[in-house]
Order: sequence, then C-alpha cells, then structure tokens
Amino acid sequence: MMKLLKFAIGLCLGLLLIAAPLSQFQPSALDALETMTVQQGGRKKPLDTVAQETVAKIHGSTTYLHDGIRESSMETFLSLWLNNRNWNEEPFVLLSYRPLKEQVGLDPDQKHFSFETLMRNQALGAVVREAHQVEIRGEDLTRDQREAITLEDRLTLMLETVSDDAIAIVPHPTDIKGKWVGITEGQSLYPAESVAPLLANFATIKQTFLSGTRHLPLLAPLAASLKSGLTALSPEVYPADSVMRREVFFNHFHPFAKAWQLYGIAFIFMLAALWIKPLELYWSAIGLFVAGVAVQSYGFWLRMQIAGRPPVTNMYESVVWVGFGIAAIALIFELIYRSKYYLLAAAPLSVVCLILADSLPAVLDPSISPLVPVLRDNFWLSIHVPTIALSYASFALALGLGHVALGSYLFTPQAKSRIQLLSQLNYRVLQVGVLLLTTGIILGGIWAHFSWGRFWGWDPKETWALIALLCYLVPLHGRLVGWIGNFGISVASVVAFNAVLMAWYGVNFVLGTGLHSYGFGTGGSELVIASVVGLDLLFVLITAARYQGWLIKSGEPDSAVSPNPFGS
Amino acid sequence: MKLNHLGQFLGSIKLAVPLLGAIATILIFTTFYESEVGSAVVQQEIYKSPWFGALMFLLALNLGISTLSRYPWRGARKLGFAITHWGLVVIIAGSAAVIHLSVEGMLLARTDAGPVSSLRVEGDLLEVAAPGQEPQQASLFIKSDGTVVPNRVGNLSLLGYSDRAIKTVHFETGAAVDNPAVRLRLSSDRMGQTLDRWLAAAPAAYRQIDIGPAELQIVKADSPQALRQALTAPAENPNNPWGTLQVSWAGVSRTIDVRSQLGQTSQIGSGELKLLGFWPDFRLDSNRQPETASPQFRNPAVQLELANGETTERWFVFSNPAFEPVRAAVQPPDFLRPIAADIRYEAPVSPEPDAFFRVVVDAQGSLHYAARASQGFKSGPLAVGEAIAPGWADFEITLAEYLPQAQVKRATVPLPETAPADSGEPALLVAVGAEEPVWVPWGEPTTVSTPAGDWYVAFSPKLLQLPFAVKLNDFIVERNEGSESVAMWTSAVTLMEPHTGERADRRVWMNHPTWFKGWKIAQASWNPGDLSQSTLQVKREPWWVTGLTWLGSLMVIVGVGTMFYGRSVAKKLRVVADLLGMPEVEERESVGTIPIMGFFLGR
Repeated sequence: MMKLLKFAIGLCLGLLLIAAPLSQFQPSALDALETMTVQQGGRKKPLDTVAQETVAKIHGSTTYLHDGIRESSMETFLSLWLNNRNWNEEPFVLLSYRPLKEQVGLDPDQKHFSFETLMRNQALGAVVREAHQVEIRGEDLTRDQREAITLEDRLTLMLETVSDDAIAIVPHPTDIKGKWVGITEGQSLYPAESVAPLLANFATIKQTFLSGTRHLPLLAPLAASLKSGLTALSPEVYPADSVMRREVFFNHFHPFAKAWQLYGIAFIFMLAALWIKPLELYWSAIGLFVAGVAVQSYGFWLRMQIAGRPPVTNMYESVVWVGFGIAAIALIFELIYRSKYYLLAAAPLSVVCLILADSLPAVLDPSISPLVPVLRDNFWLSIHVPTIALSYASFALALGLGHVALGSYLFTPQAKSRIQLLSQLNYRVLQVGVLLLTTGIILGGIWAHFSWGRFWGWDPKETWALIALLCYLVPLHGRLVGWIGNFGISVASVVAFNAVLMAWYGVNFVLGTGLHSYGFGTGGSELVIASVVGLDLLFVLITAARYQGWLIKSGEPDSAVSPNPFGS
Repeated sequence: MKLNHLGQFLGSIKLAVPLLGAIATILIFTTFYESEVGSAVVQQEIYKSPWFGALMFLLALNLGISTLSRYPWRGARKLGFAITHWGLVVIIAGSAAVIHLSVEGMLLARTDAGPVSSLRVEGDLLEVAAPGQEPQQASLFIKSDGTVVPNRVGNLSLLGYSDRAIKTVHFETGAAVDNPAVRLRLSSDRMGQTLDRWLAAAPAAYRQIDIGPAELQIVKADSPQALRQALTAPAENPNNPWGTLQVSWAGVSRTIDVRSQLGQTSQIGSGELKLLGFWPDFRLDSNRQPETASPQFRNPAVQLELANGETTERWFVFSNPAFEPVRAAVQPPDFLRPIAADIRYEAPVSPEPDAFFRVVVDAQGSLHYAARASQGFKSGPLAVGEAIAPGWADFEITLAEYLPQAQVKRATVPLPETAPADSGEPALLVAVGAEEPVWVPWGEPTTVSTPAGDWYVAFSPKLLQLPFAVKLNDFIVERNEGSESVAMWTSAVTLMEPHTGERADRRVWMNHPTWFKGWKIAQASWNPGDLSQSTLQVKREPWWVTGLTWLGSLMVIVGVGTMFYGRSVAKKLRVVADLLGMPEVEERESVGTIPIMGFFLGR
C-alpha cells in the first residue's frame, strides 16, 4: 500500500513537472500568426514551425540574443521577414567551424557573424566557388568546403527570408497538393478583388510592425483576420486549424526535453534510494521515471500524427527512439527485478541521447520533411527500423550496466554479490538485444527482398548490423564454454557496443557508402565520438588491469576517466 | 549419436567462437575496403569468392553438427537452440542458392520506344573467335583499377581496360593505288594551339574539313587546265551575289535582284512587292524566329510582302524547288482572295568559302597550295616542312607529311588522364600471343589482324533474353506539394507474352513490385533529365530459394525466442500441460536460469 502511494506521489510529481507552466496549454497572444499555414518543404506547416526551422538553420539555435533581450524564434523571424532592422549588420549567421574561420581571416573565437561581414569576405567567396567547382566535377568535398557550402545555404536562406513572398501562405484554389504562393503573388491564383483586402491587411500588419512596436500582441487581431481571409479563399484546401494548433503545441511542449529532465530527477531519486536507505524513495523514483516514459511516448505519438508516418525515419528520430527504448526496456526489467541498477544505468544514457538530439540541430536535424520514395508507403519500414533501434537501445542499456559493473570491479572489488547480480542483469538485457537485433536484421531482409530484390546483399549497413550481432554472439558463446566469465561479459557489453555505434552512426558518416544512403548526413563529430570511445576503452583497460592484479592495490588508479561509475 | 574426433571438433563451440570472430573481422575489414574500392569489387573479390563461400560452408557445418550432436533436444532451451541453429543453416543454404540460381538485371524502358525484352545483366561479355575456330564466350569483370578478370580467354590476353577511349583515324603509306594524303599542322601563337589534320582524296569525308572559320581541302588536278583553275582565285559573282527572284504576277514577269532590292518595294502591275528579309542558311531559332545558321548558301530563303489593294500576304520563298512558299495572310486575316503569283528564288550555287586552304596534287604528284582569306588570295608550290601563312589571323600551316599512296587506318586509343571526364567510350586492351596489343571498343565487333589470320573479338554488355516483353506506357513522377522534390515515381507497363499473346497492364512503384511468369519487376531508378525513361529491375529466383530463406528466418526468430524465453512460457503453460497429461518439459541448466517473463506470469 505504502509502495503504491509512493509510486503515485512520484508519478504525480512527474506529471506536475510536465504540466508546468500551465500557460503552455493556453493559446498565446500570437496564436493566429503561429498557426497560420505555410506551404514549405513539401508539406503544410504552421508559421511557428517555419520560424523555428529558419532561425535554427541560420543561427544554430531557436532563440536570438538581440540588444540584451532573448527573442523567441517567432519574434526573430517576423523581424527578418518584415525587415524592421538592419539585418546586414546583426551578428546572426552561425559559423562555428574554426579551421574555415582561420583560413578566411575571421575571428576564430566568434561564433556568429553578420550577413555583410560574410558576404564581403573575398576569401570565403573563393572557398565557396571552389567547392561548387569540386561538386560539378563530382569529386569529394573537403570538410572546409562542406562547411562553406552549408554557410552559403544559411546566407541564401537569410536573403530569401527578407521578402514579403518569402513564405507561401496563399492557398491553391482547388488542388489539395497544388503550389501555394506568397501574399503579393495572390493575384496569380485569385481575382484581384478577393486578394486586395488581404493585401491591405498584410500591409497594416507590416506597418504596425515597422512602426517599432515592442508589443507583438497588438498584431493579434490583424493576424487573425488575415488568417480567416486566407482560409476563406480556399476552405477545401486550407488545413483544419486543429492540425496546425497540434503542431504548434508540439513545438512549444518540448516533450523530449521534459522526458530527459524527468529521467534525470528519477536518477537522483534512485541514487538517494540506494544510498540513503531510510528515505525509501524507490517507488517515487519509479513513478517519476514512468512519467518520463509517458511524456516521451506522448511526444512520439504527436510527432507521428504530425508527420503521418512511422516514428523512426532519420538519424534524429533514431537517437530519440533509442533514448526512449533504453528507458522503456529498463523500466520493464526494473519492474521485474526491482534491482535499482536498471534505472540507474538507463537514466543517464537516455538523458545523453535526448540532450544530444536536442542540442545538435546541424547534425541531427529535427525538422519534419517528406520521405524519399524508397521509404514511402511501407509497412516494413515501420517495423524494421524501430526493431533494430530497440535492439541498439538494449545494447546501450547493457553498456550502461557494463559500466556499473566495471566501476564496481574498479572501486569496490570486494562487493562480490553486487557484481554477480549486475552480470546476471546484464545477461538478460543482452538476450533481449540479440533477439531484437536478429529479428530486425531478418525484417530488413524481408523488406530488401521486396524493395531491392534480394534478402541479403552485403550492403555495408546490413553487414555492420551482422557484425554487431557477431560481436555479441562471440562472447555469449565464449561464456558457454567458460572462456570468459562475469568480468568478460561486462567488458564485452562495453566493447561490443562500438560495433553498434558503427552500424548505427559510423556506416553513414564514416564509410558513407551503400544503399542506405538516404539516412546519410554531413556528420562532422567524428573526432568527438572517437575521443569518447577512446576514453571509454581506456577505462576498460584500466579496469582489466586492476582485475588482473596488475595495479598495486594501495595506489589510486591513475585514470583519465571521471570517477563516476555510470559513464565516461 | 556417435561422432569421431574430427566431427566433434567440427561441431564444437570451440570452433564456433573463433570462426564467428574470424567472420566478424573479415567483414569489418571488407566494409572499410569497400569504401575505398567500391561495392562491385568486394562483391567479386570477397563475398562471392570461393574462400568466403568455404568459410560460410564451414559455419553451416559447425552449426549443423553441433545441433545434431546435442540430440535429443529436450527442454525449451535445447529445442530453441536446435531450431535457431538449423534455421541459420537453412538461411546459408538459401543464400548460396540465390548466388548460383537467381538471375537479375536492369531493364531500361522508354515511353517513346517499343517493348523491351532484353535484360542488361551485370558484367560484360567477351566473344572471341580465333582463325578457323568456333567462337568462345567469357564473362568479364573489370576492377576499378582497370584490371580485367580473367586475364586470358583462349590465346587472347586481356591486358587492360579504359572507360575513356576514342576512335582515331590516321593514314599510312602502302595502298595499291594512288591516293594522296597530307597531314597539315596548323599553329597559332596567339591562340596558343597546334592542330594536326589529315586530308586525303579517299575516303571522301577527308577531302574537305571544316575547321571553324575556314576550310581545308585537297584536290587532284589531272590536267594543266584543272591545275590552273584550282590555283586561281574564285571569281566573284558581281551582278547578283545573293541571287534573283523570278516573279510572274497578274500577267507581268519581272526579275528582282535580292541584294539591291532588300527593304525596297517594287511595283508589279497593280500589285506591290516588298522584299523584307534574306537568309542564306534559313532556319527557325528557339523562339521560332527566322535566322541564318551559317553564311554559306545552304538553304537560302527570302521573305516578301505582297499587296494588291485589299489583300496583303507575307511569303517565305526558298530557293530549294522542293519547298513550296510558306504563306501568311495579313489583311484580311484569312485567305478569302488569295494572291495568285508565281515566285521563284534563284540563289547562287554555293560559292567557295570565304577562307580556305587548298592542297592541289598535280598529275605528276607534286604539291601546290592555294589559300584564300579576307585579305586576299595566294598560291604556290608546297613542300614538306614549309610553313605558309594563309592570312587567317596569325595561323601558319605546315605540310607535315605527304603520302602519295595512302591507306586509311582506324584505331581506338585511350584518352590521356588530362582529358575531360565523361568523354570517350569503354575499350578493352587485348593481344594475341606476343603480337602488338590492340584496343577493342565496347559494343563493336572488331577484327584483330595477326600473321596467322584474323581474330574476331567482340566486347559487349551482357544481355539476357526475357521470355516476355515490357512496354513502358507512362512514367509518372509525383512531387511533394509545392516543391520539386520527388514523392514517388511509378511506371505503368504492359507485359506481353509473345507466344500466347497474353498481356497484363501493371503499375510498378517503389516497394511495390509486380510478378509476371515467375519474374519480379521492380522500380529501380529514374533519370531526372528524361522523364520518358524508367529503369526497372527484373529478377527471377526459384520459389523454393525464396522459401528457404523465409523458412530459415522464421526458424531463427522462433528459435531464439524459444531458447531465451521458452522455459518461462512453458512454466505458464504447465497447468495446461498437466491437464493434457503431457510430460514435464523442464531441464536444469547451469546458465541463464532467471525466468525473464516471471513478472508477467504472476508470482
């Protein structure tokens, strides 16, 4: 009974954190502008999404610090679109790649530059031109050139945004998939008399904005009437308001950010439960964790509704999905075994996944865009990829448990029973991973049979999924003949995860070949990942040395790794 | 089951672990190697190689024997183990069968072309016929570094491959009859270039060569008269350089000089004729406006306006008698009262080009030249090594070679590294025995001459005849709304069986193939630059091969599930089993005894 109560307290605390602040459920003053429909990038989306995507793409973040005030993406976008300040001189455009800045003589410590500075930089122009030449010749671009082209895209987008017709808001009169046009181009689709009032309305909005008002809510009634005018032009084609509102809500609700915060708090509660016995916070921690899994599930469900497709179709979604998988699998095991360690191992990993997904929009692009043809209209995609990604999540959880175990070997080798328990827990997770990865590979084979005409073709992504599986099967079979024991399984669950990383990320970004190329991106964080992997392997090496008795027992191990046993 | 020592080892886990480790290591190496050399090479060198096949066979043997040696498979764990490992054996067998028994290729269909029934299969084919022997065929595989596998077919060595070869022509002495040929070297310091060009009396295509602003010619002058004429400046046609119009209209006949009357109006009887325009080489440009393609009189035409009081018409009149005048009514806008006039345009016969360099061979075989430029005309004797300035900018022409009895030699040669990409065609370098190597162009049967006789060599794409034909009726490209990005492409095809006349209309799009007569037809790719074209993948594999892989897949998944979780499920089912009077299916194991489903199964 007490357990249930504590669980309910944890759950309610979690739900409270999700709901706060309550204002997020009320429409904002700019609601009419935010929910105005724009046709862009092959789908219809609310202006709020356009603002977020545009600002994030140019600035690398969805907020902009202007004159000491942090502006939202909507405020920044409106200012850019309606052009009410000297955007030539605002240090707005992201350029973070140091070698390129050094090469073209820009301050390497500055992160954002003004449009004018970049456009006037002759050396930069030369790099961009050379990059285009290389592209035309069909050769591989250097990192400098790739960054220069990305920068050119940012500048082009910025230039294109400063125009009344930058966004297509006038609906097509008849065709649900027809091409929309900008506000002043409306006459190409409608008679002048039906467009004129809207133009006047838009002019008033622009006037009000240009007159220097800091009170955007003043625009609300004007925006509302513009939006209803646009809807009235083509009520059949214009999407329902609830659809746009749902997406705006998703943008502002940040379910994945809320999820990692909850996982973090649950982690702290669980640590407290482990170390401070009288508090008995175990069930509250579980309650918080359940709330985290729930809000993340809800986020996925919303995203699926908005995109109208299965949950995992690109790198960003796979990272969020793996974060979810780690939490969900850990929760199931935790409920079975009540060992605390599943949750303790899973929470930091889920948090890392979700923070990564949230903070690297350049590498992991969160925007929702239409799928490439091969991924479309496909039953197998909706089960093959999530299954594979769930197996990665299982192996990630095993990695976490492996770290806890190795940390125990390193710091508390006398705690034999805990080490024994951790190995048993780890083995269960590895089983789930092997089953899911095997199933995922086979489902992929069935899909490939339909799509590419063969079950197995040694495509690099396929091959690496198999390599990852073999990397787990070898120690699991080695354990059967007694070649490795509990320590070996812990080491294996850490080391073999590198094969998963390679199959998941490396094939796309390191090898960059093969049929799975629609998941490929620009990458660029190879060095960071390589150093994290290197440090982790060093940690394993030190633990192994300690285990084998190579280190003197009295001396503290000289470790480059943080003493936190849950990760490196 | 009794097994000897070797069998025990082959079925042991002590073999399995290093074997799996070795396979993983090889695969890791292969994927990195693949990113260097490309997929085709690793497929050929590793995945489809005999040694990799042998490794897979060893794995299958290990899996199979290990399963057999643990018979009887009592308990969920052992049963699951057996199903999984046999499933893997079945998958490996199925994959081997796919490599050897399936046929697959690409089919390029066009909406504006007829049905296609030949399939382009990966790889190239070489057909070789030695003198007096039956032709021999061999499949070729060409590595990215240009090495050819195999490197011999019969007595023919395959020495190399180039994907950028061109066909060239040069002349050699040794013909039985007189056939003068000269090699001229044109050089310009200002343009910074030097060109070599062959001229020959035969074949006819080499008598004149257009080099942009001027023309190179070779002429045989068999009589002193002809020689004199060839070396004299061509006479201008001072009277009617653009020709004349013969007009007969309303009973009046007139001759009008085109050059002097351009833009002028002439009174012919009661009517008026205005000469609006003149084009020596008439054609319509992209805006359907008349223009001249060249200053040569290749298709001379004039435009006229004819008016007789109330009626006005515009005519295009061509000097080619096969072309009727093209008429347009101006006033009134229809041909209510058409103008009855007969107009013929007599253009000058194509005169000599404004600039040319002519090599004249006289009856004794001596050489002369005649050169014309805008500055003037000059002529004189021509000798090997002598440079002549014809007066075209700073160009100089040198006679580099003179062959009185020349014969044409055609050859294929690879382009140098510096040549622009995507120029040239593929070619194969072959040699018969110790003879000089020869390049054989792709897709063209070639004769290779040797002292022992002619070899016939054909280096061509590998094709397969399908038992049916595919006609592409329509290629539909759907785009994402409001953008140019492609949402889906669909081929609407008709499949035709020639013997029974059976026809089937099908639609094929990504992830949605169609089946016909045991063949699978799937959408493979498209050409963004040409929407009337679609590439389809056509494949056949025996149904039992597909069946094997699918059966194996099912066995592996069910097996792994049973191995890990069967015991827990069995516990749950024990009550049912007891009711049915089934024996206990439980067995103690040292490993993996914590039932994972316990939570759900109620404790």
